[in-house]
Amino acid sequence: MRDLKAVGKKFVHVMYPKKSSALLRDWDLWGPLVLCVSLALMLQGGSADSKEDGGPQFAEVFVIIWFGAVVITLNSKLLGGTISFFQSLCVLGYCVLPLTVAMLVCRLVLLASSGTVSFIVRLVVVMAMFGWSTLASTAFLADSQPPNRKALVVYPIFLFYFVISWMILTFTPQ
Amino acid sequence: PSPCASANGRRAGRAGPGWRLDDTEDVSLDFGNEEELALRKAKIRHPLATFFHLFFRVSAIVTYLLCDWFSKSFVACFVTILLLLSFDFWSVKNVTGRLLVGLRWWNQIDEDGKSHWVFEAKKVSTSIAASTEVEARIFWLGLIICPVIWTVFFFSTLFSLKLKWLALVIAGISLQAANLYGYIHCKLGGKKSISKVTSRFLSQRNSGYGCPEGYGNT
Repeated sequence: MRDLKAVGKKFVHVMYPKKSSALLRDWDLWGPLVLCVSLALMLQGGSADSKEDGGPQFAEVFVIIWFGAVVITLNSKLLGGTISFFQSLCVLGYCVLPLTVAMLVCRLVLLASSGTVSFIVRLVVVMAMFGWSTLASTAFLADSQPPNRKALVVYPIFLFYFVISWMILTFTPQ
Repeated sequence: PSPCASANGRRAGRAGPGWRLDDTEDVSLDFGNEEELALRKAKIRHPLATFFHLFFRVSAIVTYLLCDWFSKSFVACFVTILLLLSFDFWSVKNVTGRLLVGLRWWNQIDEDGKSHWVFEAKKVSTSIAASTEVEARIFWLGLIICPVIWTVFFFSTLFSLKLKWLALVIAGISLQAANLYGYIHCKLGGKKSISKVTSRFLSQRNSGYGCPEGYGNT
């Protein structure tokens, strides 16, 4: 279907970030929803003292991602950005894709072993994907800002993906 | 000329030389085949669209209320309700609004990056696939009642401190309120279309099933 193809095209654009009109002009929020749900599913059950079925962690990840994206969008709009609210949400959501891939890899590595070697592997993978996410979203979003404000816009994006990467790195299954 | 007049004209045309018109002549034959006539008379012309318009909304609400029966897992309920809400949003925005009431809305970003919200209402349509009053009533009732129910859930979740459901309820409210706002904007977005719609409904009440929708006692 047309919408599914559009979502798939955007995923490809995120993995090879160049200036793409698909992500910016024809925004949609289905991709971010799918990514958010899958990331939250993979991250649940990771805290040491959870007696329940992973409920709070799931909702926490959800809220962190969406609330964080909204706050960054508001920040960039208040700094005078030309990009619209939903376009920015779309870009930030789609750029969570590399981190979702990192989470998948981490879970696979943790299935194999959970010693120091696996930690180093996970660290490298998560750092690489974090860099990729931040660069991809900066490539799409920073152009819409006046030049002396770019750092002010990039910093919250950096923080946002840092928090998500931290959650991924410190995930230990029960 | 209205189709009623043309139907009579067709009747007269069929009665060529040597034929006598009498009162027992069958009206249905003159309107084309019987399926078209049945479709014209039907109260619901898009049964699938009507069903799905209500199905996703109502099942999301029912699942939310009965989630403890279905499954012990919070995550499964959350994801199921979220999926139902997303399907509902997509189907109401893209399919049922267009079919049931002839309205649509979307966001468009033009060349220099400015974003416009476009709201459109279909002009009075004469085709047999146009929507009926029953469908429109079902559409608007479904569109209005469900966000109200989710707002009630919001307050009940807040006051009973079951905060882990709050994210889901807020997502539900925003998705349904977005569609509600979009369609109300379409509906109110041109005074001309409102008066056309009102006069169409009123004239439909006055005339019987003889004249098809869209043609009234003007």
